[in-house]
Amino acid sequence: MSQTNVKSDLDASLVNPLIKATMTVMEKMTNTQVQMKQIFAQEEYLPSGDLSGVIGILGEQGEGTVALSFPLPLANIVVARFLGTKPEHLSSEDRCDGIGELVNMVSGQAKAALSNESGCLYKLTLPTVIQGAGHQVTSQAKGAPFLVLEFESEGHIFHLQLSFKRY
Amino acid sequence: MKVLSVDDSSIMRKIIQSTIDRLGFEFLEAENGQHALDVLKEHYQDVGLILLDWNMPVKDGYQTLLEVKQDEHLQNIPIMMVTTESERSSIIKAIQAGAINYVIKPFSQEDLIMKIMAVPGMELAV
Repeated sequence: MSQTNVKSDLDASLVNPLIKATMTVMEKMTNTQVQMKQIFAQEEYLPSGDLSGVIGILGEQGEGTVALSFPLPLANIVVARFLGTKPEHLSSEDRCDGIGELVNMVSGQAKAALSNESGCLYKLTLPTVIQGAGHQVTSQAKGAPFLVLEFESEGHIFHLQLSFKRY
Repeated sequence: MKVLSVDDSSIMRKIIQSTIDRLGFEFLEAENGQHALDVLKEHYQDVGLILLDWNMPVKDGYQTLLEVKQDEHLQNIPIMMVTTESERSSIIKAIQAGAINYVIKPFSQEDLIMKIMAVPGMELAV
């Protein structure tokens, strides 16, 4: 996998709203402070964390996939705070449902940014959650690179990855 | 007075329930639009507000909104959309279809309480 010379269809008009959306959703719904660490593009999905909330973005002018990936300890922290409970009280269903809802909220902001930029309406698929170390995510935009946004919260790294192809 | 939360995310329903409990209303829940219509058949006379997500399996929130507003028994129940759909066109579409207000996720509990309290009739229960 290469991080160099990878050209993405994504630009600042979408990346900045994604950064803002991720930080706003995390801070507002889970009361966690988030720091942006780095942004890079890869030809393929970067295996990251233990579980990922994944959602598709579909529209007349393009399509793509958003994946929000957490290591298990951070997933437990953010979902517990989301729900107002303690991590040890979370069920597996709560954890998956919470991560799915977080990616739904972040993707909703990305979708709005895309729609505002293009004047074209986009739709989101329903979120799914993939679990397991080293899990893979396939983009709906076949062949499109992944833009990787790396964040840190509560001493853990997590990633938001977006792959998008314009028609 | 009962408040019906319609959302396919169980965690969102739990979060909304904590707000409804805090306000002293009785809580009802449904995991999609069709389930909501089934719940309303039994409880419509006691429901003072529906909090309706947009993107759901089986029957989405917008279709549910249209069907509620076309039903003579249900059409007067206020509906507030609670959704990630944040485009202006979506908000206008929902309001034109009869939604009384609109809450964009993510929201704070205070945001939700303020909008619920602004619904006619809902301020009386606290």
